[in-house]
Amino acid sequence: MTLMTIITKMAVGLEKTCAIFFLTLLFAIPLGMIVALLRGSKIKIVSWIAKAYISVLRGTPLMLQLIAVTYGPYYLFGISISRNKLIPVVIAFAINYAAYFAEIYRSGIESMPVGQYEAAQVLGYSRIQTFFKIILPQVIRRILPSVTNEIVTLVKDTSMAFTVSYQEMFTIGKQIANSQTSFVPFIVAGVFYYVFNAIVGFVMGRVEKRMNYYKM
Amino acid sequence: MKKRIIALVLATLIAALTFGLAGCGSKTDDGNTTAAPDASTPAGTTETKTFTMGIDPEYPPFSYLGKDGEYTGFDVEVCKAVCDKLGWEFKVFAVNWDEKLVQLDSNECDCVWSGMTILDSMKEAGYVISRPYFDNEQVLLVKEGSGFASSKDLAGKAVAVQLGTSGESLLNEDLKDLADTFSEVVTCDSFLKCFTELEGNAVDAVFVDRPVADSYVAEHEGFVIIDEDLGAEQYGIAFRSGDRALCAEVEGAIDALVADGTYAKIAAKYEDIDAGNLLFLK
Repeated sequence: MTLMTIITKMAVGLEKTCAIFFLTLLFAIPLGMIVALLRGSKIKIVSWIAKAYISVLRGTPLMLQLIAVTYGPYYLFGISISRNKLIPVVIAFAINYAAYFAEIYRSGIESMPVGQYEAAQVLGYSRIQTFFKIILPQVIRRILPSVTNEIVTLVKDTSMAFTVSYQEMFTIGKQIANSQTSFVPFIVAGVFYYVFNAIVGFVMGRVEKRMNYYKM
Repeated sequence: MKKRIIALVLATLIAALTFGLAGCGSKTDDGNTTAAPDASTPAGTTETKTFTMGIDPEYPPFSYLGKDGEYTGFDVEVCKAVCDKLGWEFKVFAVNWDEKLVQLDSNECDCVWSGMTILDSMKEAGYVISRPYFDNEQVLLVKEGSGFASSKDLAGKAVAVQLGTSGESLLNEDLKDLADTFSEVVTCDSFLKCFTELEGNAVDAVFVDRPVADSYVAEHEGFVIIDEDLGAEQYGIAFRSGDRALCAEVEGAIDALVADGTYAKIAAKYEDIDAGNLLFLK
């Protein structure tokens, strides 16, 4: 098998890797914000539930969560295992990453000086206006480096989807490596992941620059 | 005051844990060792040679975790008998099946011996492969009452196979035409996961070695094997490229076990392995 065939075959899997990546971000980023806001809630029970959510999802391995989401419904309730593995995979990734994002958001929100809230109040901003117009943009600027970290990890974590037999890029690489008794597919996979993350790093760098306006 | 008490309790706990773990650590060197008589001596420093067999721990009836928590199976028992015969210390190492040869090369085990199909590509890559010891065929396992009677009925259906097995290679090469009629070939990281996928209706069939299918059908209700031979192949033991002498030694020991009847005795324990296919007994 030539290098070109290996690359084309793995590129097909890269599409599935990208599907996990983008869908996870699409769901985890807003879900994380919801969890972070609930965690900061003044109602004890609500903040307690959010804390428990974060604690459990950060405290157990992603691999276990993947297995639980994919096979759990079958073992517990006899519901057929989904043929489209993308659904359970994205659910597991999104709930897991939301927990991490929630903590990053919280660190950003809590780092804002109280004086800003007081000043906004004096100027007649409502609480919602204060949050969205003043606090949130600065929070986003502050947490961007940590968020980039998580996103880079996510790119690499996509390979874990093989645990539940989702045929992403690394799985296809392993298949070729086996049938050809060759190490080349692993090198190709490494290059793919590196390039993917280099692009992520570049894009996030640009976003950071654009957000510099909010830097304090 | 309260804080100081908590700190004290924590410190005691940590100390207990550290010493406790250190204590455990000195007794066994890693979780993969099975009941070796003297596991505290490091491998290779004493006169008794340690022979580590690499197995797929989820491959009944050839190699699997027995009910007592020790690795067992036909291959494991034969290897144990070989080690007894040669006076070697026997160890089991559970490999990651799709990286078994890399793990063999990195000295994590001395052989891969676990219902492993001999592939031409292994020989081309320089591995020393023993004489074949088992005639295997690939079959399709389906759910009872699913109405699939031959591989043709599975056109447009999803079929699962374990990554890194000969079945998977077959579907990629010799049986590519058949594989193309399937809607999808799903590769899993173990056969037990393939069977779970089949049980949970995520796939319609599992492409698997005959003895593995037989053993699964014997223990689980609601599955049948499509009686169609899809690929004949042979099992062998893989050694590193420089271990030709080691391979010969192991083969010699197996011959001796065949001669004194131990081999047949072990084979008799595993009903799912057709003795007629065991090549050393011929």
